[in-house]
Amino acid sequence: MIHRRSLLRTAVTALVICIVLAAIYALWMRYQVEPLTRDGKVRADLVPVAADVSGLVTEVRIRDDEVVRKGQILLVIDRPRYQLALDQADANLATQRVSLAQAAREDRRNRSMTELLAAEVIEQGRARVDALRTGLDQAIAARNLARLNLDRTYVRAPVDGTVSNMTLQPGVYLNAGKPAVALVYGQSLRVEGYFEETKLPAIHLGDPASVYLMGVADEITGHVESIAAGVEDRERAGGEAQLANVNPSFTWVRLAQRIPVRIKIDKVPSNVRLIPGQTATVIVHARAVDVPVRRSLPW
Amino acid sequence: MIEELHLFGIYMPAALVWAVVAGTLAYCLRNLLQRLPFSQLLWHPGVLELALFATLWWALTFLADNFLSRALVS
Repeated sequence: MIHRRSLLRTAVTALVICIVLAAIYALWMRYQVEPLTRDGKVRADLVPVAADVSGLVTEVRIRDDEVVRKGQILLVIDRPRYQLALDQADANLATQRVSLAQAAREDRRNRSMTELLAAEVIEQGRARVDALRTGLDQAIAARNLARLNLDRTYVRAPVDGTVSNMTLQPGVYLNAGKPAVALVYGQSLRVEGYFEETKLPAIHLGDPASVYLMGVADEITGHVESIAAGVEDRERAGGEAQLANVNPSFTWVRLAQRIPVRIKIDKVPSNVRLIPGQTATVIVHARAVDVPVRRSLPW
Repeated sequence: MIEELHLFGIYMPAALVWAVVAGTLAYCLRNLLQRLPFSQLLWHPGVLELALFATLWWALTFLADNFLSRALVS
């Protein structure tokens, strides 16, 4: 009797332990294995717009957070100065033309009087015409450059986008090449999920994905567009043409690194606004055609 | 799937919240559980409580993932 009772106790205990293990397994699958992350961000490419010519900003035609089209004029830089430069180049060109015409006439006359003039003089006249002709080409190039500079005093939007964080006011002196306005390139808007490297085997290109912005219950749908080609090796220093400098300490407790996975947005609910920098939860759904990768235990 | 819960301005991982709820529930139910004749058949009553906690945690997670509206918690 006691023997039977002890057997029953063992069986029941084993059953309950099996239930514990099954629940732990299910929880592990749900929280540690399935490819989802709370560490996602809405991102977009930033296009810094710089002036191509230096000068005072005379006019600002945009305001902060304004949506601009490609080619739209954003700023105007000191047009009078570049107009004067163009006038000067035009005048130089005219002077060169006059000099060349005079030299050509002299050359033609000299060559018609070869018996009166020394060959040296005739050659000198011809050389002068050639030199003035190249001078004329230079003057034309200088005039075209002045015209280009004048055109570039209109700083235009290189892409469709939204002006962001703009504080520029007329009167500021801009140096050529220094970014003056930042445009958020709207078409590059996407979500990047930073997935633990342990979850990457479950993510395949083209897998459908759900994105939830922080505080927004509506689902944004998308798909996996690409997975980052590499991340920085934090244990190693030393750049190109230097020897490898590998950190000699290897930590006992390690965390899985994060790999950016780019989610292309397919459909955004009409009332949801995506702002680069927003936090998002990204869930990747498996497809039937995905070839599974064998993952390490406990899988 | 519900991955985080919004509690008074703080976003917490759902796993933590469900574990706390499951732990509290298991604590409240343990007296009831010990009164069952069933618990005499175990080596240790703690095993049953552990099973109760793990099952509740998983059940809460499953129910929340499938039936809880995201609008309530995010």
